[in-house]
Amino acid sequence: MTRPTIGFAGMTHLGIVSATAAAARGFPVVAFDTDPVQIAALAAGELPIVEPGLPQLLLHHRERVSFTTTPAHLRACAVVYVATDVPVDQTGASDLQPVRDLTELVAGNLAGETTLVILSQVPPGFTRGLGRPEAHTFYQVETLVFGRAVERALEPERFIVGCGDPAATLPGPLAEYLEAFGCPILHMRYESAELAKISINTCLVASITAANTLAELCEHIGADWSEIVPALRLDRRIGPHAYLTPGLGLGGGNLERDLETVCRLADANGTDAGVVRAWTANSAHRRDWALTQIHERVVPWIEEPVLAVLGLAYKENTASTKNSPALALLTALAPFVVRAYDPVVMPQPEFHPRLVAAPSALEACTGADAVVLMTPWPEFRELRPDTIAARLRRRTVIDPHRLLDGPACRAAGLDHVTLGYPLPRTAA
Amino acid sequence: MLTHHWPKPENPSRVLVLGGGGFLGRAVRAALAEAGILTVAPTRSELDLAADHAGERAAALLQATDAVLMLAALTPDKGRGLDPFMQNMRMAAAACAAMQKVRPAHVVYVSSDAVYPIDTARITEETGAQPADLYGVMHLAREVMAKTEVQAPVAVLRPTLVYGADDPHNSYGPNRLRRMARKDARITLFGQGEEMRDHILVDDVAELIRLTLCHRSSGTLNLATGRSISYADLARKVAGLFEGRVDIAGTPRQSPVKHRHFDVVALHKAFPAFTFTPLEAGLAKAHREMLEQP
Repeated sequence: MTRPTIGFAGMTHLGIVSATAAAARGFPVVAFDTDPVQIAALAAGELPIVEPGLPQLLLHHRERVSFTTTPAHLRACAVVYVATDVPVDQTGASDLQPVRDLTELVAGNLAGETTLVILSQVPPGFTRGLGRPEAHTFYQVETLVFGRAVERALEPERFIVGCGDPAATLPGPLAEYLEAFGCPILHMRYESAELAKISINTCLVASITAANTLAELCEHIGADWSEIVPALRLDRRIGPHAYLTPGLGLGGGNLERDLETVCRLADANGTDAGVVRAWTANSAHRRDWALTQIHERVVPWIEEPVLAVLGLAYKENTASTKNSPALALLTALAPFVVRAYDPVVMPQPEFHPRLVAAPSALEACTGADAVVLMTPWPEFRELRPDTIAARLRRRTVIDPHRLLDGPACRAAGLDHVTLGYPLPRTAA
Repeated sequence: MLTHHWPKPENPSRVLVLGGGGFLGRAVRAALAEAGILTVAPTRSELDLAADHAGERAAALLQATDAVLMLAALTPDKGRGLDPFMQNMRMAAAACAAMQKVRPAHVVYVSSDAVYPIDTARITEETGAQPADLYGVMHLAREVMAKTEVQAPVAVLRPTLVYGADDPHNSYGPNRLRRMARKDARITLFGQGEEMRDHILVDDVAELIRLTLCHRSSGTLNLATGRSISYADLARKVAGLFEGRVDIAGTPRQSPVKHRHFDVVALHKAFPAFTFTPLEAGLAKAHREMLEQP
């Protein structure tokens, strides 16, 4: 039996990963974008994103994917997903024009019965507001996680599909495609699905913020958050997969965007979003943790300090620096020499006026007064504290994500400063 | 958060200091003089901002290229009632009138952490101003006056508890504790001195004001060290500076304990290379200077 062709419009991180996953599930795929450079690169197997396992997966299923800049090629599809990025402005407000424009372009090139699915992250009310025929128009929640996108695209926990009429059945090709992933499919009205995406992120933020708040307390009262976390994971009401790892705020931008959307909706409707604003404020506070530690432990004690910064990406396994805590840190360290290394992101002069690009993590540490491990790249976990100690001029290691072994750091004579663990005394 | 209109610092051509004869004013003038910055600081007899027609007299002293540093205020030891409030407002109105007549290049208004609610333990520049008394209301009103009535970049600086040997005020802090220890060899605390407070050396405040002037900054910034200490610990540090024994005594608590901590990330971002005088060093300096005073 011939499987329906699935189209993806917008070769973004989401679009590329989703298209590749569809091909991996055995569906012919049309991958469309208006950018000829992007399409030419993808057709040549050059991926503009970093995602573990993606190059191999695309290579393996390459014959099922047709990359194109011709929108009329989407006419061959039974289902077309719109997967363009939705940019946000400085206030966190979404600019929905790109997704509207792409939807219009795609819709103008579809056969009459083709199903159109909005996969981009849009606020409640967007899909119904398009005014398209409800029987052929759907919204699907994307749950892309940078660095784990392939795993999550191939093995989704569930599909959440927004429909004009939640009582109606899904069109055959869309149902066939989704059922191929073998996970629950939840139908609901458009607005519920659009808010479901925000609800998921809001609950994640609640966990993250609780962890960050309590981890900060641990740093000051002699408790160790890593000892507490297993107790929480064994509580059925919290669970083994809860987001309980402390971090430098929320990062990445998508969670903050959803919080901002909740606040805007709450303000417009007169509902209470005080706790959401508190989460945002806590995120900003924790984002600056490393800077606070540098001003506590390095700047007052060393004239002309040299700092090593390991990691520039906003998280591991991605080249994205959007809302990266590392870049935010660099902007606040302008007077000092910074030696930086990231396995993927090349240090750029615009990141910092006195930035020195190092070829390796240990080279970055050489001659530095302190090292700050800003991104939890796996390779940083392999660094030996005694080797770091031999390279540093002084002994401060600021390791928010606890990548290094604390006892080994202390044995090597390092002051190991990490989130959720009692802070060492300030070195005078 | 401050925005630097001069990312690369340079000396302003001249600074008109209003209230330059006070505790903080003297320290700032010394810091500016050391940096080679010309200042004009009329004395109270030369310019009484609370007097009639003070705005016109202040305008006569002002040049369009000046930065104006507004320190003049009746401090809480002169009372927190309506009369000092009204006088302070008259002073601010006169300063604004002068700056409306001769528009300056930059304004630095030195406010107070009294604009913040007393029951908020952690303060940032984002903390909503909610003054508990007329002194705090006065500073908040003067901040708004500076920002809305003057057509120039305005920096509002909100110092917390400032200490130094020259401080003539006797508010509850290092100065009073030192004086109690010197006079009676005994420091008496409210309760057991549990309250956590942030204390900043006057020299550090002066330097931060200089940096604000030299960057022609605008916005709002708290001036605090980010390290709070209980009054009990502070008393022990002050007592430890005296050669003889100093007793520290508590008193029955009259009101609930309220702490105050500052998150000073915005200050670190504004002035990354600035470092605070450690409290121990600042207390020792103030102690030494006190002993040198006649």
